[in-house]
Amino acid sequence: MILRLIAIAVLLGASALFYYWWQGRQGTVRRVERPGALTPAVLGSPRGGRATFVQFSTPMCAKCPGTAVLLKRVAAEQPHVTHVEIDAAERLDLARELNIMRTPTTLILNSDGIVVARMDGAPTEAQAREALEAAPLPPEYAI
Amino acid sequence: MTTDAAPVSQDIQIDPRGYRFGASVTLVISIVALVLGATTAGWVTMAILALLFLPGATVGPQATLQARIFKRFIRPRIGAPAATESFRPPRFAQQMGLGFSLLAVLFGVLGSAPGFFIFTGFVVIASFLNSVFGFCLGCEIYLLAKRATTRAA
Repeated sequence: MILRLIAIAVLLGASALFYYWWQGRQGTVRRVERPGALTPAVLGSPRGGRATFVQFSTPMCAKCPGTAVLLKRVAAEQPHVTHVEIDAAERLDLARELNIMRTPTTLILNSDGIVVARMDGAPTEAQAREALEAAPLPPEYAI
Repeated sequence: MTTDAAPVSQDIQIDPRGYRFGASVTLVISIVALVLGATTAGWVTMAILALLFLPGATVGPQATLQARIFKRFIRPRIGAPAATESFRPPRFAQQMGLGFSLLAVLFGVLGSAPGFFIFTGFVVIASFLNSVFGFCLGCEIYLLAKRATTRAA
């Protein structure tokens, strides 16, 4: 009996540790080097002149609507930045190709449509802005 | 500039605190089942839990007995929620909970203690993360499950 209660306490403790580890990774900006561009045809939507947030969501994702609102707000603050949302459950081909493991996952495309950074999990506004730094304004837009 | 690409469907919105309350009920019942072990009392406890999951897994988490208790006795004391959420992610989680509970009952009836403890343990972990941290394990696993079960084109 006592042994079983200790086992339950260990199980709950391990779950809590897993949770803190998982949440700590949430939204972290990672720079990515991946050859090949994501075309508007593949995305099903036009790209931004400077950068594009490509957010992968699913209908079962509790945090995805909040992330979409946040990314739209950050995109609206900056010129030539757009936000595209893709249902990963419908576009499993893209999810596999881009190694989307959880939702929301957001890829940041530069002006050429090349993936330059990604955020796995829901980002904060600061993380979303940090991710945009990976896609600077191309020379033709600079004055 | 923003682009709307994903379909935003009108969904039934639920109070996330009600759903977390439901998860805490699940947590207590599944821990009781773990303490009772792979005995008749243990699997009967998991069968009761499966019955509690049934309305949540079919209609949605707003239809459960736990949700009614929350609505009747708890929400009047704590007021309106700051934000509501779609019922779909928690309904999917309830379907997972129902599946795991039924598997625990099955192994319990067959007298397989490891199977009973593994599946009851999954229910304990998932409901613990949901009730204490508001973290939906089923929702995180959804895409991985979908990727694993759907064949590449």
